[in-house]
Amino acid sequence: MLGLIWLRGLIGRRAGRLVGQSIGVALAVVLLASLGTFFTSSRAVMTRQAIAAIPVDWQVQVNASTTPARVLKTVQAAPGVSTALEVGYADVSAFSTRVAGTVRTTGGGKVLGLPADYATSFPGEIRYLVGARSGVLLAQQTAANLGAAVGSTVTIVRPGQPKATVTVDGIVDLPAADSLFQSIGLGPGAGPIAPPDNVMLLSTDAWRALFAATPSGAISTQVHVGLDHSLPADPGAAFVAVTGQAKNLEAALVGGGSVGDNLSARLGAARSDAVYAQLLFLFLGLPGVIIAGILTAAIASSGRERRRREQALLRVRGASPRQIVRLAAYEALLTGTIGSALGLIGASIAGWWAFGTARFGATGGQTLAWAAFSVAVGFGLSYLTVVLPAWRDSRSLTVRSAQVAIGTPRRPLWERLYLDIISLCTGGLIYWQAVRAGYQVVLAPEGVPTISVNYFTLLAPLLFWVGAALLTWRIGGWLLRHGRGAIAAVSRPFAHGLSGVVAASMSRQRQALARGLVLMALTASFALSVGIFNTTYANQSRVDAQLTNGADVAITTTASAGLPAGLADAVRQVPGVVAAQPMLHRFAYVGNDLQDLYGIDPGTIGLATTMSNAFFAGGNAQQVLRTLATTPNGVLVSEETVLDFQLHPGDTVRLRLQFTSDHAYHMVPFVYVGVAREFPTAPHDSFFVTNGAYVARATGSVSAQTLLIRTDASPPAVAASVRSLLGPASGATVQDIVTQERITLSGLTAIDLAGLTRLELAFALVLAAGASGLVLALGLAERRRTFAIAAALGAKRRQLGAFVWSEAAFVAIGGVMFGALAGWGIAQAIVKILTGVFDPPPEHLSAPWAYLGVFALATVVAVAVAGIGMLRATSRPGAEIIRDL
Amino acid sequence: MTGDPLVVADSLTRSFGAGATIVTAVADASFTVAVADRIALVGPSGSGKSTLLHLVAGLDRPTGGEISWPALGDREDLRPGQVGVAFQGPSLLPPLTVLENIELPLILARRLEEVVHAAAVDLIDAFGLSGLGDKLPEELSGGQSQRAAVARAFAGAPRLVLADEPTGQQDHATAERLIDAMLAIAKVDGTSLLIATHDRSIAERFETRWSMESGSLRTKELPCSA
Repeated sequence: MLGLIWLRGLIGRRAGRLVGQSIGVALAVVLLASLGTFFTSSRAVMTRQAIAAIPVDWQVQVNASTTPARVLKTVQAAPGVSTALEVGYADVSAFSTRVAGTVRTTGGGKVLGLPADYATSFPGEIRYLVGARSGVLLAQQTAANLGAAVGSTVTIVRPGQPKATVTVDGIVDLPAADSLFQSIGLGPGAGPIAPPDNVMLLSTDAWRALFAATPSGAISTQVHVGLDHSLPADPGAAFVAVTGQAKNLEAALVGGGSVGDNLSARLGAARSDAVYAQLLFLFLGLPGVIIAGILTAAIASSGRERRRREQALLRVRGASPRQIVRLAAYEALLTGTIGSALGLIGASIAGWWAFGTARFGATGGQTLAWAAFSVAVGFGLSYLTVVLPAWRDSRSLTVRSAQVAIGTPRRPLWERLYLDIISLCTGGLIYWQAVRAGYQVVLAPEGVPTISVNYFTLLAPLLFWVGAALLTWRIGGWLLRHGRGAIAAVSRPFAHGLSGVVAASMSRQRQALARGLVLMALTASFALSVGIFNTTYANQSRVDAQLTNGADVAITTTASAGLPAGLADAVRQVPGVVAAQPMLHRFAYVGNDLQDLYGIDPGTIGLATTMSNAFFAGGNAQQVLRTLATTPNGVLVSEETVLDFQLHPGDTVRLRLQFTSDHAYHMVPFVYVGVAREFPTAPHDSFFVTNGAYVARATGSVSAQTLLIRTDASPPAVAASVRSLLGPASGATVQDIVTQERITLSGLTAIDLAGLTRLELAFALVLAAGASGLVLALGLAERRRTFAIAAALGAKRRQLGAFVWSEAAFVAIGGVMFGALAGWGIAQAIVKILTGVFDPPPEHLSAPWAYLGVFALATVVAVAVAGIGMLRATSRPGAEIIRDL
Repeated sequence: MTGDPLVVADSLTRSFGAGATIVTAVADASFTVAVADRIALVGPSGSGKSTLLHLVAGLDRPTGGEISWPALGDREDLRPGQVGVAFQGPSLLPPLTVLENIELPLILARRLEEVVHAAAVDLIDAFGLSGLGDKLPEELSGGQSQRAAVARAFAGAPRLVLADEPTGQQDHATAERLIDAMLAIAKVDGTSLLIATHDRSIAERFETRWSMESGSLRTKELPCSA
């Protein structure tokens, strides 16, 4: 009964406080449930994508000790296997063909024998380009090398057997050649083996007819397996399940076969992405939930003084502490219920907007679990912020002290213990230790089912966060306590004669104001760190795509003859092309290492692609390229090579390059003139960049393997035009940066990072508005009587505004300033710790200026709305307030 | 114009609520407050005294009748400077000390800084608050707070001071000293006084006594109890 009366009174007289608390709870529930959507759906999508990206789940190599038929039978009987087909592999010495009277001969290659239903069973393995879909199929690259087309006669040079002749029925592409021609049975850590340049596909019968008598060392058989994909949604669990199945099969084969587990390899990569998703949840999501919690606490505490006075009155009237706590519990129940309900509705909308699904989990069970968890947190938050203070007050306060609103606060324990400084220093030490050691936060070793996550390092940003918040509190409190003169001076332009009174008033309310300052700083640091992370990530994605692709559009060929002569001039005529620059791509031996070598024109390469300062040691691309241009035999070397070979500028580097005259490698002297860290189209580890003219002269071949193109139109559209210019049989690949950017994104980021950051950024805006506007409005509303008295004493709206705007400016401007500093530092730590998410790692952070502008605007608008609303309400006190005086 | 009355009310009415639940706090009250008047408004709790004072202070608007301030300007000009108000409930601003609370109306009226401080210190002494100037309202007793609020009402030497139960929380001796101080300062500053009280002994210290009963004002002189 008493509870109902109390609640009715609260709804009637303290509706603002109840709404504010409910909004705080709702915000926490929205974010938590939305993050549940991100967390569970991203893992499930990662698993689905990993499975979908694998054309053949397992490749079982048949060992010499048994027969293919026996292995096939065992595989077909293994649990979880849905498809199993036998595939023959034969090594050949060469393919040759006669074109226009000349004979073209390739190097060594492979001939595969495939069952008739192979392409339908494993649709991702073969892409039909020209001609028939059965019979003798030639790989696109091989066709380009031979100059062969459908109907051409190709001679197969078989080891230990006479040559055989076949007629080409079709040209195909092998998109998954890397896994199709992998070496099965090598231990973890063995480097990948490049797929053969020359490949021919035959039917099983034709293959057997051609290679029945081939020596056993030159042929092998594999069983290609498709699995039933009813796997756990989590990539880690799916990885463990598939690995276990593969080991089980190997045990059943009793040494008769080795399993090349393509699916596990893919899931293995996805599981580390899943851990990064978990870390992103921790770094980018959890702070938001915590801030929503603090916001709720701040909203609840904005009415705490009034609540304490109400409770003191109740105690005077004979209410026991237990009854008082029970009344607070009714209030918490009400705000928890309203907030959780609003939160779940909001989370559905947010999930649909950010992730394309209104559910909080990948399955019904997960949805229920996340919804229940979020609601539990919502109620917990509500009880923590309302009931706990009431319980504490009822135990520790006398009736008289409960009526005290201002008081002389004792320095809190954390301040006396310098926990802020200790947190920052400890966080700094952990961060320094981690960065110094060049660690990786997530380690997913190849072939090992467990993932190691260095959770200790995660303490660094957490401690930065806590330390920065407490330090802000300390500095804010100190300023308000000792900087009254400074506050009066700053507020004088708009407070005029009231500036001293305003400063005194602020100083005595330093607890509430310092709390507001910390909340605003936390919100700003959250927004800034998420924004910086997002912008830096987006920039690195673009850099990655450009490095991988080389330019807006790039044409590449692996044919030894290079791209057709005059192609650059023809491409320059294509609409949308701004510049096109050829680049030689050769291979060179340094010692016994074979490395990529790029021959460029240093003076013009920048016309076709961006030459970033970050590509070169010393950070000055223009200067490095000028040095290269003025040293005809100069070479830029990767850092790894400089270290390996102890090179110094001016040293002669002797490389061996293939000469056109005899196809043999010969020594060519270069002069080491600088370090290239990255270069368009170059691999990450080691490569050379040199003058193309010198390489052409030395090797006797001017052929370029790459053409880099800058566009002022849509890169995919220009790429399409260039493709039609080249024709289907050129053997060259045309790739554009937009498509490349989609490909280079990892599974994690391609799926949900955009949605996550969109949600986080929007949420940060709402929190900023809440932290500034709502908290200010509720704080002012609680002092409505004070303002009404001031108005009754003759304060005009402008004079009341001096109080309101001084406090608002202190909280909003101070909070944003402290938050900006903290956010920048925390973003630096997060980016460094989550380096694994970035490729390449960023050299500096990128600021989201537009977003920060919107953030600042949202804060200013929220503060303005709250302040103006309060001034309107108090400068003409309502009859209710007047009667109360 | 010095000859004009400070306040003139004609059939002044203030009602709250509507329909069946309407409550008329002040009904059809007509009166005049002249310069140098010393008026005590006597009546039981809930008789409408506070509402009448709020109307005279210009803090509230009547629902019927008229009120004007011929010698003080219009309603917007009353505060600060012309009318000082001491409310019945706690009305000191919590974050300001006693001294700052008393200074506030003067600062709002843009008086010179040195004048503000000196005037506030004088009032502190006059109302027996010496040594409490640096205290916060929550550090004061109810009686001390009330005296500080009355002192604040006199800050800036207003033409009219309205005080709602100024002695409600004082012991008899302190109440007498408070009234002494009010009358003395009013005499020096030429301030008119209108106080609401239910204490007839306090009312008898004033030259004029009005009474209120269920919203009805009687301005006919009440007999002295002595």
